[in-house]
Amino acid sequence: MNLFSFDFIKTTFSNIKSNKQLFSLSVATNFIAFTVLGIFFLLFVNLDILFSSWDKHIQLIVYLDDKISNPNKKKIELLFNSNDKIDSIFFVSRDQAWESFRGKFSSKSNFVTSLNFNPLPDSYTLRFASGPDRLKNIRDFSEKIKNENGVESVEYGEKWISRFEQFMIFLRGFILVFGVVLFSGMILIISNTIKLSIYSRKDEIDLMTLLGATHQYIKVPLLLEGILQGVSGSLLALVSVKLIHLYIVFWFQGSLESVFRGLEFQYLTKPIIFSVISTGIIVGVLGSSISANQFLHRHNSE
Amino acid sequence: MIKVFNLYKSYGGIAPVLSDISFDIQDGEFVFLTGQSGAGKTTLFKVLFGWEKFDRGQILVGGINVGKLNEKNLYQLRRKVGFVFQDYKLLMKKTVFENVAFAQQIVGANMKTVRTKTWNALKNVGLVKKKDSYPSQLSGGEQQRVSIARAIVNDPELILADEPTGNLDSEISKEIFALFEKINQQGKTIIIATHSAEILRKKERRHLLLKRGKLLQS
Repeated sequence: MNLFSFDFIKTTFSNIKSNKQLFSLSVATNFIAFTVLGIFFLLFVNLDILFSSWDKHIQLIVYLDDKISNPNKKKIELLFNSNDKIDSIFFVSRDQAWESFRGKFSSKSNFVTSLNFNPLPDSYTLRFASGPDRLKNIRDFSEKIKNENGVESVEYGEKWISRFEQFMIFLRGFILVFGVVLFSGMILIISNTIKLSIYSRKDEIDLMTLLGATHQYIKVPLLLEGILQGVSGSLLALVSVKLIHLYIVFWFQGSLESVFRGLEFQYLTKPIIFSVISTGIIVGVLGSSISANQFLHRHNSE
Repeated sequence: MIKVFNLYKSYGGIAPVLSDISFDIQDGEFVFLTGQSGAGKTTLFKVLFGWEKFDRGQILVGGINVGKLNEKNLYQLRRKVGFVFQDYKLLMKKTVFENVAFAQQIVGANMKTVRTKTWNALKNVGLVKKKDSYPSQLSGGEQQRVSIARAIVNDPELILADEPTGNLDSEISKEIFALFEKINQQGKTIIIATHSAEILRKKERRHLLLKRGKLLQS
């Protein structure tokens, strides 16, 4: 680090020291905005984990027509075997299905024991290889197979998966829109804080330009001040979201595990933490640049 | 050092503030810019310093075409010119030493150079003993000396002084003019804007006389 950059840092901290209250106010506002955003991210991360865990349990069941011909059955099995995305294939005969059904429900309903015929069809249970496209592969294959001769129907819980997927898309969109609004708000806050900081040192900055300071020399401490505001706000927010996470884990982890099949409530992922801090830096740079450029432009056009 | 050709400047009114101004100033010259209040002296200085834009004409200062400068490279001109302001423009929270060193720091000089040059500049204006004082603890004449020290500390080729004795009594004014003469003897080009008739009578120097924005004598 050379003397020149040390001078920038010294000037930045001297500016902050002389505008302590304003700086703290800006950090506090950014902290609140980032915390709200962080809570939404926390919700999103855990719903995404929940969705992924459900995704792993999804299997495709292909129900066969009672009157399916042997060639058609062979053709369907060939389709299963030729698909490299399918991990395993289990054939469940109608008798096996009925046995299993009766085993589960005979104690709960007289209707099942009084029924003197088997209403269930033969079926195949297909498990697909895991991966990011697993659901898509299931969906594509079910579309392909359901119109084959001898296939009565296919089932993989499409309706609730679609609804949950739509909810996740909505949540992602909501976070994006909400994030953009907060982002703009934070830029505005930092921009105004830096503007006030500039005006509190107007005589000094005016003199700098008259004595031959470069724009860079004037701008760098202001940019550093803006970055510090943004980064401090984002770091404090990450700490507060961590505390919220710990609170939820401490008090509600047991309930969450029993309701959502062993879900472990997670903190924000590393890319999200990195994004929040980067956003803090970007917000700081943009906010302070706007004010510094406005001031220097106005100053030189006088 | 300075070449001005057919310079025009107005603030949007009917009469231009500066009208068809042309003159040359050689390296090492000591020139008085005179005229009554409102004649355009300060405006001419501001234009020469790139502080204000002009409408027409050409200005060359130390080989720099002032009209071609944009806001980002204006510092190149400002570093060639030391400006002495009538109101001193000192930073009240900084000491005398810090005020002078400030001009060095903003051009990126290293600590050792800042110390040496600031010390020399203060010695030049006779204010070494007051280096730790704050501007509010100084007299008007001393404050103007600090302003002069700050103007010369970066070793500029040209010094523009806008009414440097405007707020000072005649005894202190004499000291300040003596100081400018000393700096001129060190090879600097100096232009002083003044409307002090007494100073002009006593000093056998070249005069640029402005009247209602026109140059009557060069």
